Amino acid sequence: MARLKRIAAGAFAAVMAAGLTACGSGSTGAAATDASGNVTPTTSKAITGKELSVMVSEMPSDTDALGNALSTWASESGNTIKYIVVSNDDMLTKFPAMAKNKDLPDLISTTGLHQLYPEEFVKPETFIDLSQFNDAALRSVGKAYASDEITGLPDQYTVTCMYYNADAFEAAGLSVPTADDPWTWDELYENAKTLQEKGGVKYGFAADVSRARYDILMYANGGSITEKNGDTIKVAVNSPQNVETLEKFVQANNEVMPKAIWAGGTTDNPVEYFKNGDVGILLSGSWNYNTFTTDITKFNFSVMTSPKGKVSQAAIVGGGALAVPKNGKQPQLAEQFLQWLYTKDHYSAFLQLDKGPSVMKNVSYDPGNEKATADYAVIQNEVNYVTDAFLADEAAGWRQYKDNEYRDALKQAVAGEVTAQQALDGFASELAESSKWAKAY
Amino acid sequence: MKKRRKANTAFRHTGAFWLFVLPSLGLFALFFLLPLVLSIWFSFTDFDGWKKMNFIGLQNYAKILTDSSFYLSLGRTFIYTIVNLPFKVAIPLLLAALVTSKKLKGNTAVRTMIYIPVLFSSLVAGITINWMFSQEYGLVNFLLEKMGMTPLEWSLNPTLATVVISIASNWVSAGYYMLLYVGGINNISKELYEAASIDGSGKAHTFFHITVPLLLPTTFIVLLLSTVNLLKEYALIQGITLGGPGTSTTYIVQYIFSQGFDQYKYGYASAAGVLVSIVFIIIAAIQFKMTKGGGEV
Repeated sequence: MARLKRIAAGAFAAVMAAGLTACGSGSTGAAATDASGNVTPTTSKAITGKELSVMVSEMPSDTDALGNALSTWASESGNTIKYIVVSNDDMLTKFPAMAKNKDLPDLISTTGLHQLYPEEFVKPETFIDLSQFNDAALRSVGKAYASDEITGLPDQYTVTCMYYNADAFEAAGLSVPTADDPWTWDELYENAKTLQEKGGVKYGFAADVSRARYDILMYANGGSITEKNGDTIKVAVNSPQNVETLEKFVQANNEVMPKAIWAGGTTDNPVEYFKNGDVGILLSGSWNYNTFTTDITKFNFSVMTSPKGKVSQAAIVGGGALAVPKNGKQPQLAEQFLQWLYTKDHYSAFLQLDKGPSVMKNVSYDPGNEKATADYAVIQNEVNYVTDAFLADEAAGWRQYKDNEYRDALKQAVAGEVTAQQALDGFASELAESSKWAKAY
Repeated sequence: MKKRRKANTAFRHTGAFWLFVLPSLGLFALFFLLPLVLSIWFSFTDFDGWKKMNFIGLQNYAKILTDSSFYLSLGRTFIYTIVNLPFKVAIPLLLAALVTSKKLKGNTAVRTMIYIPVLFSSLVAGITINWMFSQEYGLVNFLLEKMGMTPLEWSLNPTLATVVISIASNWVSAGYYMLLYVGGINNISKELYEAASIDGSGKAHTFFHITVPLLLPTTFIVLLLSTVNLLKEYALIQGITLGGPGTSTTYIVQYIFSQGFDQYKYGYASAAGVLVSIVFIIIAAIQFKMTKGGGEV
């Protein structure tokens, strides 16, 4: 009932927003793409001499893609930027309070607020042409959890990525898997042992403590969090194939992974382990590539295709979006920046700093050197392994009911507090109770 | 006339009293009473921190009382508190005895060094301790390895993880409690020590039979404050273990925080907070009763 109320409130807000937009100052409106791929919004004159307040998770550095874009836009348009720095975790708690107090910024760089609270944000289709965006990016990063509405524009698009220590591979005599001939997950675990024995690394394999990493194992083995039959969604996280996947992951933690990371007894970051040369293969996000090129100096690293599970290879896409709070003081100013950013030239410049996959159809990243070009091709290819099961789970919006609890259940299994079956059964019950979906298993 | 003047004086006295008390009372009401009342009210609702707030009666309480995670985290908190309490009293007491000893050189410097961690934020202290006891790149394991010993699994073994948190907790609080004891020791009459010395009492005998008994009121305060602080340990754990490995260092405040701020179940978290507060008040009352408020025991 509460959910219905929320959806109704969202729909009402959307209608009101559309009405207000139509009756507003006329600074926003429908948008169209010209022959060269540039979007020309049908807007009135540009706003100038104003301050755009932007909420970000960390203060952008000089080389930050978004920070650079904002600075360039500000100097070109005669506006200024004011940053409000709130960590991603804190945003989740502070945003409701800011919304309640009508103290919202003009623009938010977020990983999920627009998906959790769609009714609070301006619908981007009212001021920009959405057809120029990559569909998977829009659906996974820009779409609200509980509806098909696009409420944010993806800017930083990331995909799960397998980094490897090339020197350790050479020392261990391992050849790198290719897209045509990928490893299986079992082979990865075996080769991780070889890396530990002969490659000079302490741990063969490590993965970020995030369900967005672990879940590629699940999807590769044909599992999913939910199952949809017609309009009915069921909780399927404790399916037999998911239990088996978790059991193997627990075993891998005992044999080839830094167990403390996933057992949850440390604040250590496996990315640092990899950068220090202590890990052979790292499952992390493609966004790390940029940092690795400058931080890793002790050894050569590269990226490889993801392993195949029982069913397929799998990848998870995610990232950040730029969203315009409806009740911010100057939504039109934020819209003006976004219309500027998502033009071919400006987004190309953004990508050159972001070094990630492109969210726009007609723009691609040019790494500028042979090695990075080859790595980037692997990363871009990983996007093709996004499974239907992942997109269905995203569409189901299970994360609005439970999120961290899933990761905590996985941690408990790795720590040995509960079995894989108990961990997933427990989470399935929690999710079923919160979502009111029935359990499939 | 005399009667009227007396009444005026009394009124001025009362007025002055309220004038002095009002700022504190206002702050106390704003930051303690109001949140307390709100929290109790939220505990009877399904408040999600923003839009939803329906009255649901005792549902939250009924649910908590059947939640095994609640009992497990509460049980862990009690064990952690009971195990640490003796150290919270003994270490500051010994340090106080040390820094009040006339034989100690650089007395002020030692006191300052012991007190400095009290000034750290708990989170900073946690991160510092984490740097020392990190399983992979920590100073302690590095030294153990250098000495040819096997590095310890600080982050994987629940007992070792708890030991690390305990060390951190004692490190950041010892200085404060030490100062309380220093004040207590300085208030003990020197004549008692002289009499004991004349009677041939040794140092250890004097300490256990004069100093310790006369410090009982201070010990009561230290016990009470330590108990409350141990029961609500939070920031240190966030900086060191994040409640792991698994959930082995997830104590009751982590549980409440997670329910409220991770899962947006503010109503449920408030109910858990109210229940836990009642338990804590009972514990404090028992301590108060047993030690007769720190008076004669």
